[in-house]
Amino acid sequence: MERLYLIPIAAYALLAVDHLIPNALGKWFRQVSRWVAVGAALVHAGILVYEALVSAEPPGFPQALSAAALGMMMAYVVVGAADRLRALGLLLAPLAAVMLSTSLIAPDRTVSALETAGNSPWLPLHLGLIFVGVAGFSLSFVVGVLFLVVRRRLKSKRNLSSLRRLPSLDALDKIQFRSTLFGFVFLTLGIVAGGVFAAVSLGSTAAFLDPKVLSTLIIWVWYLIALQVRIAAGWRGRLSAWFAIVGFSGLLFSLLVLNFLVRGWHAYGA
Amino acid sequence: MPMGLDVDILAMGLNHHTAPVDVRERLALDSTGVLTQLKRLRETGLAREALIVSTCNRVELYAVPGEGGVDPLRMWFGEFRGPKGADVSSYLFEHRGMGAVQHLFRVASSLDSMVVGEPQILGQVKEAVRIAEDGKSLGRVLGAVARNTLKVAKKVRTETDIGKYTVGVGNAGVELALQIFGDLDGRRAMLVGVGDMGQQVAHALQSAGLKELLVANRTAEHAVEFANEHRATPVAWERMREYLSRVDIVVAATGAQEAIITNQDVRRALRERRYRPLFLVDLAVPRNIDPRVDDLEGAYLFNVDDLRQVIAEGVRARQAAKDRAEEVVAVEADRCFHALSRVEVGPEIGRLTQFVDGLRQAELDRSQRLVDSLDETQREQLEKLTKALVKRVLHAPLQGIHRAAEEGDAATLEALLSIWKEEE
Repeated sequence: MERLYLIPIAAYALLAVDHLIPNALGKWFRQVSRWVAVGAALVHAGILVYEALVSAEPPGFPQALSAAALGMMMAYVVVGAADRLRALGLLLAPLAAVMLSTSLIAPDRTVSALETAGNSPWLPLHLGLIFVGVAGFSLSFVVGVLFLVVRRRLKSKRNLSSLRRLPSLDALDKIQFRSTLFGFVFLTLGIVAGGVFAAVSLGSTAAFLDPKVLSTLIIWVWYLIALQVRIAAGWRGRLSAWFAIVGFSGLLFSLLVLNFLVRGWHAYGA
Repeated sequence: MPMGLDVDILAMGLNHHTAPVDVRERLALDSTGVLTQLKRLRETGLAREALIVSTCNRVELYAVPGEGGVDPLRMWFGEFRGPKGADVSSYLFEHRGMGAVQHLFRVASSLDSMVVGEPQILGQVKEAVRIAEDGKSLGRVLGAVARNTLKVAKKVRTETDIGKYTVGVGNAGVELALQIFGDLDGRRAMLVGVGDMGQQVAHALQSAGLKELLVANRTAEHAVEFANEHRATPVAWERMREYLSRVDIVVAATGAQEAIITNQDVRRALRERRYRPLFLVDLAVPRNIDPRVDDLEGAYLFNVDDLRQVIAEGVRARQAAKDRAEEVVAVEADRCFHALSRVEVGPEIGRLTQFVDGLRQAELDRSQRLVDSLDETQREQLEKLTKALVKRVLHAPLQGIHRAAEEGDAATLEALLSIWKEEE
């Protein structure tokens, strides 16, 4: 099954090359690139779903990375379709390629608590909602980085003609807000579903004191503040961009570090 | 003999490179005039095919000359506008053959334009082609050239960035505005002071789709006057600062000796507009907008030097795009011109093979009795044999004809084809 992953990885890598080195793959590739992205994402999603259905093991760390990569590609396909937003692929495509590749060599650990949890529809719901939320936040992260790049060029008054390939400040700012809001809604629902799962399947509310839960709640509050200052005071642009970048870094930290190093309900077992 | 190998295409005319405006305007034709002249060229036999491109920058004739050759067309250029057009010979340029094809390609691709990359010329060439089609003055040669012209111009536009790099203060302003706002749909701008450069930027913004243009001027009458002329809304000078929060773009170009838009003004405006970005262009020297404004989050201030830099970058990038476009045009002109000479021998070769096959058939008919004495299989074999023989015999001369056609070697081609002609 893992070999099949080479298909989406190769496709994402090609897309990344196409974005990073203009015309390296010729015009025809650019014309079909969207279909390459759609096809690869479908294959990718298919493998993930198949694995989830067939495997006796609950999804673990490699699946989390793979799902995050898929989320980025979905954002790429949906939002990057607009010609003016093509440049989002500059970051989304390489990130997805790297993440998915990493998932193949990442230690295959699963959340140890799940081994005793048994089957519950709340678990896939919890994972799925969080996954969609993370997709939104990863988009807001990428958009935030691009916003800072474009803003810096406009402020420095240098290399302005190279901006032509990047989206406008206003467009980036709008997606920034929408993707953060989108991510926030799904993260919220995902947390709720996780809580229900813990109460129903683990039979314990002690899960709320889990380090991962706490860190996620902190991130949740962080994004809440980001949305709040935007909606109430209108602060946007650079501030929103930094909120998104820091927030997403927090999410990555929580996935890469907390799950491995800290004991708790979400800790990855051997 | 309709050889067409030396496809004779002529481009003749005058344009902004070769003739001053007073000469160009004397010769310029409207569409009715073009149609009349095309008819006349055809009916008098001056040209077998003709296409006239007449714009404010050029009056150019593309033609397949008639029996008389080029001289009568030169004469025609001198007199088609009557005595007013007399003596334009010193302004005329001429291209023949592939040069002519290439010239038309360059014109349509906006490589020959005064402002390289401007998009109007393609529309004008399209219109010229339409008129020539109406006047039935496009034949096999110019028809093919015209079709290719539109295709090549489109190719140049999509494959190179020739149309994307705009020069001039106005366009530089628009480009920056687009980089900030994406499009100007629903955006408002305010012109502060009705100076020349400010007007250029305001115009460019308007033609890029600005929703509303406000104008404020210290002398109110000038603002009103400008507003009436340019679909703008005048704003009282005293209230100009209030409007900073209601517009997205500010273009300042007054003769004021000190900053008329201060840091505080913009800071307040930004707060009122909830930090939606504000794009400010300061074209004045000394500057009209406090330079510290650029440090405010959400404010993007560009002065005259910044704009000049955008223009310089555009010029550089455009030169690169232009080089690339010239390559495309040269390659395509070469291909088009050679294709023209090739298609011409097609029918000749068809006729030739048909003729020889006719000979074969005739010989078989003459030996009818022999053929009749054969059974079905033998008859088929005989048929095959004679066909193979004909093919073998024709092989070398046909190759020679093709080669001569490729190389444009009219003499050889004529010699090769004439052998069979005599038989006929």
